[in-house]
Amino acid sequence: MSRDFAEVPVDHADARRAAESVLDFPGADDVEVSVMGSQTGVTRYALSEIIQNTVRNEVRAYVRVVTGRQVATAVTTQLDAGHMNRAAASALEAARQSRPDEEWPGLPSPDVVGHAQGCWRYDDATAAATPKERAAQVVRLLSASEADNTSGVFETSAHSFSVLSSAGVDCADAHTRCVTTCLVDTGEATGWGEDSSHRLDRVDAEAAARRALDKARRGTGAIDAPTGRHQVVLEPAAVATMLEYLSYCGMGAKQFIDGESFLIGQTGKQLAAPGITLADDVWHAHSVGIGFDFEGVPKKRVAVIDQGTATGPVTDWRTSRKLKTEPTGHYSGSTEFGPYASHLVLDRGGDSLDELISGVDDGLLVTRFHYVNVLDRPSTLLTGMTRDGTFRITKGEVGGAVHNFRFAHSVLDALRSTSGVGRELAAFAPDYGSFGGTVAPALRVEDFNFASTTSH
Amino acid sequence: MRQLLTTALDAATDAGATYVDVRVLEAVSESLSTRGAIVEGLDRSESLGYGVRVLRNGAWGYAASPRLDLGEVSRIARMAVEVAEASSTSQTRPVELVDEPVHVATWVTPVERDPFAVSLEEKLGPLLEASEAMERVKGIRVGRGTMDLHRQRSWFLTSEGTDLDQTIVNVGAGIEATAVNDGDVQQRSYPGSFRGHFEAGGYDIVERMDLAGNAEQTAEETLALIRAPECPAGTTTLVLDGHQVMLQVHESVGHPTELDRVLGMEAAFAGTSFVGIPELGSLRYGSEHVTIQSDATSPGGLGTYGYDDEGVEAQRVDLVREGILVGFQSSRETAAAMGADRSNGTMRAEGWENFPLIRMPNINLLPGSGSLEDLISEVEEGVYMSTNKSWSIDDKRKNFQFGCEIGWEIKRGKLTRIVKNPRYTGITPVFWGSCDAVAGEDEWRMHGTPNCGKGQPGQTMRVGHGTAPARFRGVSVGVSQ
Repeated sequence: MSRDFAEVPVDHADARRAAESVLDFPGADDVEVSVMGSQTGVTRYALSEIIQNTVRNEVRAYVRVVTGRQVATAVTTQLDAGHMNRAAASALEAARQSRPDEEWPGLPSPDVVGHAQGCWRYDDATAAATPKERAAQVVRLLSASEADNTSGVFETSAHSFSVLSSAGVDCADAHTRCVTTCLVDTGEATGWGEDSSHRLDRVDAEAAARRALDKARRGTGAIDAPTGRHQVVLEPAAVATMLEYLSYCGMGAKQFIDGESFLIGQTGKQLAAPGITLADDVWHAHSVGIGFDFEGVPKKRVAVIDQGTATGPVTDWRTSRKLKTEPTGHYSGSTEFGPYASHLVLDRGGDSLDELISGVDDGLLVTRFHYVNVLDRPSTLLTGMTRDGTFRITKGEVGGAVHNFRFAHSVLDALRSTSGVGRELAAFAPDYGSFGGTVAPALRVEDFNFASTTSH
Repeated sequence: MRQLLTTALDAATDAGATYVDVRVLEAVSESLSTRGAIVEGLDRSESLGYGVRVLRNGAWGYAASPRLDLGEVSRIARMAVEVAEASSTSQTRPVELVDEPVHVATWVTPVERDPFAVSLEEKLGPLLEASEAMERVKGIRVGRGTMDLHRQRSWFLTSEGTDLDQTIVNVGAGIEATAVNDGDVQQRSYPGSFRGHFEAGGYDIVERMDLAGNAEQTAEETLALIRAPECPAGTTTLVLDGHQVMLQVHESVGHPTELDRVLGMEAAFAGTSFVGIPELGSLRYGSEHVTIQSDATSPGGLGTYGYDDEGVEAQRVDLVREGILVGFQSSRETAAAMGADRSNGTMRAEGWENFPLIRMPNINLLPGSGSLEDLISEVEEGVYMSTNKSWSIDDKRKNFQFGCEIGWEIKRGKLTRIVKNPRYTGITPVFWGSCDAVAGEDEWRMHGTPNCGKGQPGQTMRVGHGTAPARFRGVSVGVSQ
């Protein structure tokens, strides 16, 4: 059996060779080249058989060209000198037709922002996993699920990233990722399990299937429960989703500067319960990502909420100059979008899941949320549905299943009324793209609003 | 290109594939964004690569790469077969495909003015003029302009003999103003939210938008929202503009009638559907005013094409006819699974990297009669909501909550005061069942959303929706908490 991938997606030497063909492009004052490579195998199963199975190799070079204070970017999927030069010429032509950006801070120099290091969460065995190995994992998972309607994915991928610039940036990183998800549908109820790591051998697909099966079996006979405010225990998957939307609500400095962030006027104030420390931290042991941003600025751990107290947003080179702070290395690749916190870690607490549940007299246990969206950014008000396992908790014991709810609640209100933080951390890969990830424990929240219910 | 296609086809066939399709795709795009007097984004992109989809042992395999040398092309084709062999280890029933005639054709989006032949200076002009004008209005914090242009050419060859060459061109543009006051953030956009209005065609579409000419009103409505009261909660009559009806159709009719969802193939990620195959022809989905079609032939739609990404000819089919569920969006595989004779041609993939999925082409609510003014004039008390802002719906596409940028209270047939944060909630068949009027052809427009997400790995797709304003009775509004 051959390997899917013979090497790291794009070796840094190849990225450097591509970049060097345009770093001194005639007519440009500065040039920055970011090269991303990925090799992804996704085995997707439903109705208890593999339905889609893909292997894809991807390469993209982002060529950002500066002339005076005029800036533009061109992207190509081909790294040969001809295509790279065409991209640089296209970007230069665009920049020349643009208007000078009076806020342009120049490209960041490593002498000013520091020299970037890679995280190198890279595992050869994960990168080299074959279609046959992924299929074998799915076959074992399907056996463990004991159901004829099980669905999900088993994914292995490898990703490389290099940034080089005429300002002296020259850095590289690579990571791998293994993700499994499992939904068991018994016909009467569904249950969910998932696992992810940068190492294939740390992902237990069969255990995820057994958790999904257990949830689905316990979901049988679900009944309506009253809407309104409830004490809840949110399992890590539900917490991770809330935190990802909190990031969207304004952890970045661009939203902060534009007046749209929940952090405005809150610095130094108590935003959450004292047990809540929420950081963007790609260096955390459970995080999977790269050690610098899309401009090659070293990525720092930023505790946006530290023991309940708001500190400040994550920044990039441009916004840090405006705020007169140090850049934290969170450039998203888009000046329009601004810096972004994409590696959230909520610190663990001291309680087991059972201990969190034991503190609930009359409430609900939520496995995960579905199709969440923001209703109001400044107040961090979200709506979304529960799915795949929502249960009544009575006098500290998990009871029968209830029909799914629509919630309408502020993330900050949930974090303010948190009375317990789990001691087990779970890592979650993003639904889209290779970058980012969230690490979260379970939470017990004293007051959480459910607005309506559905019939399943 | 021909050599690449035939090399891949031959290599996969030689490796034992019983069906092969090869898709080469070359895409160019341009994305512009301005904020006040600043050009914040000026990005051009080119993407060239190919994907090979095969059946072997009755199971699917797919492999894709941007590397164009013929040795790599053969390796990727053989990899697709290896992937299919791995898939077959869990197979309980072989994939069957319904027949489709062989097509040898070229198809091109009609374009009046090529958007890539227009100078950047000309394209940036109206964006800067509008974003600067909005920021000059006292109280406006951010004025933004955006433009997105996309052209893709694909070459498609199958082991059955289908041989296609398609070029699709899409354009989109819009402006947005943001005002901030004491923890309240309000936004108003024109002519649509989330980067504006999108259609298939040329730059003339953007020219007709008159972005700069609408900047002042957009800014003024934003400021009015900051001053406005919250939309009152209650059960009332709701009139939606065409943009919000687009979102309503998309989420509560488009997705639930995708046959892969109905069959359970998307259960773990996007979810399933509240409708099933046995209910075809009998389920009351809405009132008699509701007829909704899947139409890949609609002029100007983001989902308009000659052939889908498995070589099936574009079609127009009814999904809901006078309120009754009568059709699904299908592929060759899912059509076979439900016993249909032919796919209705809705398989599309984002880029060359991805396996095609059932994706909405243009899901259109057919017009009724009268004007928006007529719809409002028949409302004693209610709310008119405009321009989508937020959306959420459950995993069976039944319980939804949607929000708009702006609302107006309706009193005795007239629009009165503006209300902010207008939202409404409902249960899909109940909501469509409460529809008592759809405005006529004069109010019917083709809208588009370029960012519909589905699948794993995640794919975003360009989807069209032809809609007119519509009226719904007895709807729960103002339901944030």
